[in-house]
Amino acid sequence: MTGVCVIGAGLLPFGRHEDSLLADMAIEAAFLAIRDAGIAPQAIEAGFFANVLGGLLFGDLTVGQSVFADLGITGGPVVNVENACASGSSAFTLAYNAIAAGEVESAIVLGAEKMCVPGLGLLNSGKNELETRLGLVTPASFGLRAQRHIHEFGTTLEQLALVSVKNRAHAAANPHALFRDPVTLDEVLNSPMIADPLTRYQCCPVADGAAALVLAGGKTAAAARRAINIDAAILCSGSYQTPVDLVRWETDRRGCELAYKKAGLGPDDLDLVECHDAFSIAEILHYEALGLCAEGDGGRLVAEGATRLGGRVPVNVSGGLIGRGHPLGATGVAQIVEIVTQLRGEAGARQVENARVGLAHCMGADRQGDARACTVAILSR
Amino acid sequence: MSVEKKNRSDAGLAALPLVQEGIFTLPDATGAPPSLLGGHCAVCDRYSFPRETHCTRCLGQVDEATLGGRGTVYSLTVVCTKPPLGLPQPYSVGFIDLEACGLRVFCLLDPECIGDIWIGSPVRLAVRPLGHDDKGQPCLRPCFTLADTAGHDERGAP
Repeated sequence: MTGVCVIGAGLLPFGRHEDSLLADMAIEAAFLAIRDAGIAPQAIEAGFFANVLGGLLFGDLTVGQSVFADLGITGGPVVNVENACASGSSAFTLAYNAIAAGEVESAIVLGAEKMCVPGLGLLNSGKNELETRLGLVTPASFGLRAQRHIHEFGTTLEQLALVSVKNRAHAAANPHALFRDPVTLDEVLNSPMIADPLTRYQCCPVADGAAALVLAGGKTAAAARRAINIDAAILCSGSYQTPVDLVRWETDRRGCELAYKKAGLGPDDLDLVECHDAFSIAEILHYEALGLCAEGDGGRLVAEGATRLGGRVPVNVSGGLIGRGHPLGATGVAQIVEIVTQLRGEAGARQVENARVGLAHCMGADRQGDARACTVAILSR
Repeated sequence: MSVEKKNRSDAGLAALPLVQEGIFTLPDATGAPPSLLGGHCAVCDRYSFPRETHCTRCLGQVDEATLGGRGTVYSLTVVCTKPPLGLPQPYSVGFIDLEACGLRVFCLLDPECIGDIWIGSPVRLAVRPLGHDDKGQPCLRPCFTLADTAGHDERGAP
């Protein structure tokens, strides 16, 4: 029996797409994925469209139906998905579940975001939330985690900054990344302070972008030429425990453990990871949640080079959010596009040698010191 | 509130709206210090901040509860970039372990104490004119400030 597979992937370069509408970018990425899959758009039975800010910034609503109709995908279920930074990966999980349940044999997942506009400001978790009214902005929530990690585990400012040095070096080898120039440790440490101890180069930049995947099961998957297996695709939400532990992230760990269990795999089986490095400290916390190192050792793991291209378990070889840029709704899909590209052996200068198993991890939005959404997908060839 | 009881930072507090009703009390005429307000389910003996509309464990009634104003800093950060909501630049936020109810709550820290408060610092609640509300009007926000470590601050907190 064939499981659920990715049979097509498409990605627009992340950056400023000033002259494009949200829908234009989405259609372009979807076109690339459908062409890559080698099937007719009419054969795609369901569509999941991820976007966060279109309604707020441009008055764009239920964009998915517009975009899919323009691509020739009509009649089947279409869902517009908003789960903050994890919108794209949440859409992926919905598509996976629809195929795994046998409701449809194929589906398209499309994430797109246009957010390079003047006066966007810092993102928050909703203007009517008490935390927002008391000054919580996204960089602050990770500044709080970083300070606590330093306090409990002796993580250094240099170790934090090395996440950005590594991911910017990776991005320099990725033609789809926003930043193509590497940065030095001094440049990261001396860039302007955003939320102590996180400096600007330790915070992911906004970008416009779009990414798409075509998923299939059954005969459609069996007929595909370059299919990549999906071993797990999970979505969970926060537990909002009190007192919250900012450095032993329960939701992060629970999400990772659930994905490992479903895939029947563990951290030692991974050849590469794309994780949600919205801020340098986030990548360090995810190392620990993923079991790539012991609790508290995340700073040392990046410092010893284990997570760079050529290391024991390369993390964010695409450049991650810090290097590739973070168009919210597109990010979770782009992470999986990167895993698929790597498992197909088509990643060029940033190719992880003999990559067979990859994991994509994403989290979205704050609530009471927790994340509202966490997704983990494991893929293999 | 008598004139004598007011300290400078509390002056004119009554004239300004609260950033949100039902989350903190103002210092009163007897000199009682401000306190956070939250919820308490008597059946489950659970506290919440902000107050839950119903108990998320038993679905029962949640009463308004005084959560106290004393605690210890669990973590903090200083936001140096352009602030939202008219807050000062820089401003500071943290998670505070409340002494009276055991909750760990997110709150502003006193911008005048940046550099003096650290993880583990004892803090007490203050109310300050800080930034503006949803309508752009100046408003009062709760913030934790450094507590007198000798244990007898000017407001006679317990």
